[in-house]
Amino acid sequence: MEVRDPLSDALSALAHPARRGMLERLAEGDASVSDLAEPLNMSLPAVSKHIRILERAGLIEQRQRAQFRICTLVPAPLKDIESWAEQYRSIWEARFDQMETVMKKISKKAEGN
Amino acid sequence: MEWVRIERTFEAPIETVWKMWTDPALFKQWYGPNGMKVPVVEMDLVEGGRRKLCMQMDSPENTMTMWFTGEFKEISPPDRLVYTESMCDEDGNILSPEAMGMPPGHPETTEVVVELNEAGDKTLLKLTHIGVPADSGGAGGWAQALDKLGALVAN
Repeated sequence: MEVRDPLSDALSALAHPARRGMLERLAEGDASVSDLAEPLNMSLPAVSKHIRILERAGLIEQRQRAQFRICTLVPAPLKDIESWAEQYRSIWEARFDQMETVMKKISKKAEGN
Repeated sequence: MEWVRIERTFEAPIETVWKMWTDPALFKQWYGPNGMKVPVVEMDLVEGGRRKLCMQMDSPENTMTMWFTGEFKEISPPDRLVYTESMCDEDGNILSPEAMGMPPGHPETTEVVVELNEAGDKTLLKLTHIGVPADSGGAGGWAQALDKLGALVAN
């Protein structure tokens, strides 16, 4: 098994619509495994597999309550993804600065004629 | 996943801002910030049309080039432009994240959504930049899911 970094694990975990759906549900509050399975048209082993992937990525925690397994969303990896995405903001801001410069040059030329 | 939303108001008419994105000669002049050049830009400005560009960074040791390709998904002048972009080789063959040494789940394709709104003689630009992981099946579902998750993370 290859060594992966936490960010890649989180990105991979988000890369499946069923898992994104589970996280959206958990964003509204804790849920049991059967709650998470209910809207999905898949077998319980398949559901468990997705839950394990989310857990290994640090995106959810599970605990036992009576006969239920309760899942909780852990937001920290999502925040890490957001920070990582922020680098693209500064690239675009630099581009837009340059776009402004170019447009000013164009309008000066137009006024000069 | 890359998810950035930026808004900026430009003191220029909407048609001018639209041309900045769709006229290759103008696009070259602003798209390469911080010392990067854009020596090649090809735009087939129809929905489904190909988009290809080269970015070049000169340093004393060598010249680094990166190629990107994709297609225009929506073109509605002068207010909405949507295109995809992936890293590729010089011939336009898409390079997968795995080929670049990245684990699965890393974005293979980027989707850029540009929305322009007139505000008097100024233009409000809204840009959304979405990275679409290789095994996720498309950007549309991402945007919705990330909206909800993003709201949660903000709290």
